[in-house]
Amino acid sequence: MDGAFRKIDIDAFDEDIIQESELYEADPRDPAQVLEEARARQSSVRGFLSKNDVVGALTTVLENAPYGPNVEDAKTISLQTLLSILNNTKSTEISNVVKSLSMDCQDTLMKYLYKGMAMSAWADSNASVLLSWHEKLTEIAGTGCIVRTMTDRRTV
Amino acid sequence: MPEIFSISPTPVTAHAFNADRSQLAVSLNSNDAQILTHNGSQWAATEMLTEHDKTITSIDWAPNSNQIVTASQDRNAYVWQQSPDPKTGTIVWKPTLVLLRINRAATHVRWSPKEDKFAVASGDRAIAICSFDPENNWWVSKLLKKPIRSTVLAVDWHPNNVLLAAGSADMKARVLSAFIKEIDERPAAGVWGSKLPFNTICAEFASAAGGWVHGVAFSPSGDVLAFVSHDSSISIAYPGGPVHNIRMPTLPLVTLTWTTEDSIVAAGHDCQPLVFSGSDAGWQEIGTLDDGSHAASKTGPGLTGRLNKSGAFGAFQNADSRGQSSITSTDTKLLTIHQNTITSIRPYQGAPGQVTQVSTTAVDGKLVIWDTASVSALTGRMAAMSM
Repeated sequence: MDGAFRKIDIDAFDEDIIQESELYEADPRDPAQVLEEARARQSSVRGFLSKNDVVGALTTVLENAPYGPNVEDAKTISLQTLLSILNNTKSTEISNVVKSLSMDCQDTLMKYLYKGMAMSAWADSNASVLLSWHEKLTEIAGTGCIVRTMTDRRTV
Repeated sequence: MPEIFSISPTPVTAHAFNADRSQLAVSLNSNDAQILTHNGSQWAATEMLTEHDKTITSIDWAPNSNQIVTASQDRNAYVWQQSPDPKTGTIVWKPTLVLLRINRAATHVRWSPKEDKFAVASGDRAIAICSFDPENNWWVSKLLKKPIRSTVLAVDWHPNNVLLAAGSADMKARVLSAFIKEIDERPAAGVWGSKLPFNTICAEFASAAGGWVHGVAFSPSGDVLAFVSHDSSISIAYPGGPVHNIRMPTLPLVTLTWTTEDSIVAAGHDCQPLVFSGSDAGWQEIGTLDDGSHAASKTGPGLTGRLNKSGAFGAFQNADSRGQSSITSTDTKLLTIHQNTITSIRPYQGAPGQVTQVSTTAVDGKLVIWDTASVSALTGRMAAMSM
């Protein structure tokens, strides 16, 4: 039997269709402001890293991370910043760093790990780092953390 | 000691006991509901309720009026009453069709505390509130539509017979008024509001990290609302006050029930009932009803949703690192009693607010009755992620 009819988006014929914007609360910040904050964080993270404060650097980039539409540049900068932190951390330190993060930050970190792995151009050079962080983070925050990454519509 | 019954090789979608717990109505992932009768040691099928032409999604049994209501993907609900068969004179369950006026599947059904109406959640972004019209001798349905934006997955009645909690796939749990002026007396003002005409929105709570709300439940007093969502979290909301959210390190919970005013039992994809305790000052997980001592095997792959090196994970890892393609371990038993997702948890013994036993049914076809007092800490083997 031809199953093509199953691919028809029947919701498109619904006048009262649910919009993406109804699924989560929009970021109250202006996109330009978000971008500025992302740049400011990038430089403060360098400061933290020069003092060898990985937890401080991670918290800076993970708190109030940009999400939602129209902030692609800020998202990219944040991911770059985050990857620079991950690459600068010794693999033996990862567990302790993850343990000292708040639950919110752990969830956001997991979102970035998956985002990093999804971007093939970057994943190639960062794969082993991302995977070892993923392993340690899952050990500590559990599979619940991965579930939240998959369900949360506030994508980073 | 939990009582364990294997009632079916197929998943149990929903279950409901009668008032004296001698009979049980179950839907075994099919179009039919079965009445099982306890014969001392096992549950034996005694009657089949066949009327729906798609899978039954939910069942509820009114304890006082002894009526069963079933909801199904065929967009219908039936109310079943016992009456003598005209030919043989034996007592059988007779169905009455309820026109719900929804054009998507019915997902969940619950009788109101006074048993004079019931609520049917549906995929039509609506909840049908059905009440009996004695003049025309049928059930009439009135729809709660606004502001629901997606499939309603669960409903629960407030003890005042008027307010209804609904959990929905639009990531929200809501408290709505289901006041029917023909049958309801005007409710006393409470924490959820004073004026409550039909479809008043009394409260709306979003799940913390944006997950579908799988289950909702009012506390025994009706003054607190708890809900579980697919972001692996449970939220306990006080109207006008704090909303406490507990994030789980495990797979999501899908069903919950209050046992006392300060404790909740919830279960889901993690296959074991977890106990939460607290007050408006804060809530925490205090343990599990499944202490792990009933597991058939002590060396199995552990718990679902935990990372471990046996089972499927181990098989793939061996294939990857050592080139072994054969599955070395054939033991796939979990350490928990239930071997698959718990789909429904309900009070079994004790008055509301003093529930001493709860019943669970799961995708593994088991029915388990748990003592709510025997909580064991979620430590060691049961909590460990055996890497």
